[in-house]
Order: sequence, then C-alpha cells, then structure tokens
Amino acid sequence: MAARLAALALVALLAMLVGLLVGGVPLPLATVLAALAHPHTLGDAGTIVWAIRLPRVCVAATVGASLAISGALLQGMLRNPIVDPYLTGVSAGAAAAIAICVVLGVTLALLPAIGFAAGIATALVVAALARRGTGIDVNRLILAGISLSALFSAVIAIVLTRAQASGYASAILSWLAGSMAGRGWHELAFALPYALGGLLLALLAVPALNALRLGDTRAAAIGVDVDRAQWTILAAASLLTASAVSLSGMVGFVGLIVPHIARRVVGSDARRLIAASVLLGAALTVLADAAARTLFAPAELPVGVLLAFIGVPAFLYLYLRGGRQFA
Amino acid sequence: MIQARELRVRAGTRTLLEGVNFDVREREFVAVLGPNGAGKTTLLRAIAGTGDFAGGTLRVGGRPIESLGANERARTIAYMASDDAFAENMCVRDVVAMGRYSFHHWWQWHEEPRDREAVDAALRAVGMELFADRAFPTLSTGERQRIWLALGLAQEAPLLLLDEPTSHLDIRVGHEILELLRHRVAAGKTVVCALHDLNEAAAYADRIMLLGCGRMLAFDPPELLLRSPLLEDAYGIPMEAVAAPSGILRVFPRVTNRRSRCSS
Repeated sequence: MAARLAALALVALLAMLVGLLVGGVPLPLATVLAALAHPHTLGDAGTIVWAIRLPRVCVAATVGASLAISGALLQGMLRNPIVDPYLTGVSAGAAAAIAICVVLGVTLALLPAIGFAAGIATALVVAALARRGTGIDVNRLILAGISLSALFSAVIAIVLTRAQASGYASAILSWLAGSMAGRGWHELAFALPYALGGLLLALLAVPALNALRLGDTRAAAIGVDVDRAQWTILAAASLLTASAVSLSGMVGFVGLIVPHIARRVVGSDARRLIAASVLLGAALTVLADAAARTLFAPAELPVGVLLAFIGVPAFLYLYLRGGRQFA
Repeated sequence: MIQARELRVRAGTRTLLEGVNFDVREREFVAVLGPNGAGKTTLLRAIAGTGDFAGGTLRVGGRPIESLGANERARTIAYMASDDAFAENMCVRDVVAMGRYSFHHWWQWHEEPRDREAVDAALRAVGMELFADRAFPTLSTGERQRIWLALGLAQEAPLLLLDEPTSHLDIRVGHEILELLRHRVAAGKTVVCALHDLNEAAAYADRIMLLGCGRMLAFDPPELLLRSPLLEDAYGIPMEAVAAPSGILRVFPRVTNRRSRCSS
C-alpha cells in the first residue's frame, strides 16, 4: 500500500509539472525547472512560472484536494457512496450570495470572502436542521442539504433572470461553472488557512472515521464518541468545501468521484483513503485546469464543465463495472 | 458488576422499561429472556451506555454508567449488537483490531505489539485464527458471529454484553458460541446475554432474567425460573419443564391441539 501511495504522489507531482509546462507561452521543461529553482533570476520565464502558473497550479491542487477529502469524509460518515461535498449546502449558499453580490455591484475582490462566509453560514443552518439530541441525524442532514440547495438554486435562477438585463449574468455563470481563471497567491492566501484547518479536523477524525465503517452502534460500543466524530467530520467537510468554493466556484465531480477511485486503489481504510484522495484530487483538478486553459486557447473552458465531461462517463463506467463496491 | 435501581428507559413518550432492579455479580453468566418487544435489547443498550435511560441509577463496576467516557466505557463493557449488517470489504483481522480503538490516542494510527497480541488471542479464542486474512463479507453467518465476538474479546473488557449471539446459527455453532462464553466466564469475565432459546439459557446461564412488557418479572437460577408460572405468563403460552438425563432442565411449549391441526 505504501508503494501505491508513493505512486499516487508521483502522479500528483507529474500533474503539477504538466500544469506548469502548458500555457499561452511555450516554456521548455529545463526553463520551468530553472525558474522554480531560482525564483528571481529568469526574467519573463520566472514571472510566468512564479506569478501566473505556479499560483494557479497551487489553487487547482488546493481545490481538488479539499473537495476530494470532503467527499471522502462525508461518504464515510454517511456510509453513502453517492454523497458529494455539495450535499451540505455550502456551494449553493455561496453561489446564491455571490450572485446577489454581483448584481448589487460588490467589488470582485470581495467575492471569495463573501462566498466562504455564506457557505459556512449555510452549513451551520443545515447542521442546525440536522441536529437531533447531541448528535446528527443522517437522514435529516441529507434532506436539509438538498432542500436548502434547491432553495438557493431558485434564488440563483431569479437573480440570473434579473442579471441578464443588467449584463452581470456572465460573471455569475463563471462562478456557477467553476473556474480558476485569474486566481493567484492572493486568493490562495485567503483560502489556504481554512483549508488547512479543515484538513487538521479531518486528520483528527481519521480513527473515528475508520471505526464508523462498522456502523454507529458498533462504533459507539468500541469507544467512539459518535456525536463528536460526526460534528468534527461535518465541520472539516464544510471548511474544506467552503475554501474550495471561495477559490474556484462550483467545481463538480471531484468530491464525488475521487474518493471512489482512491478506494479502488488503496482500500477503505481512512488513513490511506484520505492521503490518496488528497493526491488524486489535486492531480485530477490540476490536469483538468491545464486542459481547460489550453484546449481552446486563448479562450478558457470552465474547469467545472470540463470535469463534468470527464467525470460523468468515468463515474458511470466505475458504477456499471463495479456495482458491488458501490452497494 | 452491574447494579440497576428503579431503571426506566423511554423512547419519546413511550416507556420501554420501568422499575427494573437487579444486581449481576462478577464472573456470572446471565441470560436475558423474554418475548419479542419485552425490552431485552433496550436493557442491554442501557447497560452498554449507548441507549438513553430516563430514570433510576445504573452502575457498572461500581460507577454510574453516565460518568464513564466513551473510551473508558469500551474498556469496561464489550457490547455486541445483534445487527449483522456490514458490507465493508475489510479483512477479518482489521475488523477484530477495531476492538483496540479505545486503547489508542487520536494520534496513534498504528497497532502496538500489545494490540497485535490481543487481536491474535481473540481470534484464537473463537477458533478463527486461520481466517485472519479472509475478506469479512466472504464469511458465513456463523463465522461472522464469531468474529463479532472476537472483536468484543479484543476490547479486553471485564463485562461482555451480547444481543442474541446465537440467532441465525445452526444448533452446533450456537452451542459452540455459548460454550465459548462459558469459558470466558471461567476465565473471569461477566456475561450478560439476550437469548431467545429457553433451553440454551437453561444449559449455560447461572441465572436467567425474565422480562415482559418492559418489566423484570423474575431473576432466578434456571431450575427455579423454568418451573415458574411467570414463564407462561410472559410468553402467553402453556409450557412444560422436563429434566433431561443429563440433569439439565428443558422447557417445551405444551402443544395440545397438534393432532387436530394436522388432520384439518
């Protein structure tokens, strides 16, 4: 298993290297490596690598890794393989708030922070609705997440119809489709601490997440504080998802499909599953972003759209070929 | 080992158990009997600390059950639920190793030598050491039941609570499981076990607790309880007790209209 994780780490590194190599200006591998080694000595190449491509690769890796861990956490806690990070309502809440703010003319630089705050606020409302006693009712969590997401979708639809007249629709749509265009160190510096906080909470929950595979009753019998574990997992997933959404808008399918692939490669043990999800989520999103900005260059495809095009067939293939694993 | 005083358990507005008083001694094998819905699982869950109780006191090992933290509880009480629903593709050894959860801090993600010894000993105790690397879903029902028991044994808790460990098992495997529990009692454990089969209880338990309609009707040695009219009251069916040649009491429902049913 250590060899498989090492191979995944290599895949992630190679994906990031590909992300640094492709772009509007062709840069040979040696130049990219030299620019990485000596940040301030290579003129334009150094600027392209350090100011444009590396931050974007890091943003894509953070988004992919965050969504993948979040998906793995929620699928594990709910023991439901078709759960994805957006179940908690985080993305719909963030998107609705951003859509409203765009129409109100709020400056673009504030949108990540607003998206993050709205996402966390939505997650809190969903958590309050899902609360039963001192713990979480899994069915209520799913129902509350789906209901609030539907409500916010309606809000977005209303705002979009209003925005068409005023010309703000394209800005809102780029958030809904998911994109890393124009994101850099500044946005990463805002979101990364929250993503790392989410990762830390996820690591705290790993032993309990492993034990929850036995079911809540058996997990409680072997010493898991099930209520505390559920709250920790939900908090971790919400922080990670809100960080990702604030960076890139709604990037779909990473959180759903990467945990499935990771489970195929390293099994269901949460210790390995989380590590594999980080590496695979980062690799897939970095590659998708690289493809999104080169396939129709100079125009950019939204990375969320590209991932859906890759993700849906891949998910269906996995589902139809390996039904047992999903049962 | 366990003291219950005026124990009351509720679910919403419905009372599931009321006015339950008993003491279970250390190194005792107690069978909990009663018809469906009598409160057997509710009682076990209350003792295990995983179900809420609404009133009274319940002490395990001299301490109120609600004062035990999750880890401490798991090191005192090994509760084996009756639910067998489990689809994860884990190997047998990994399932049993979960019993060591309460011995680890959150940052300890790997087995210590002491854990490995406990898991090996638990697998040996249930005769499943050769199955350690098998995938859990490939086991038969009887083999799975043994693995759940091994998981409980790996907890090294002095009190074992089992909810119908012999249901779905054939007569041989069922008796092997109960024999194994008897050995655990001889080795110093206390066992409280919900059963459906009166004769299994008669053969293996030191005392039988009889529940009916959310109340404790009796708590006596088998030879007393199985002759008691309370048994017939609890199950609502006439019974007859017969001493087997081995001296162990056997109980059977008294079937009076068998011939007429067959001929009709």
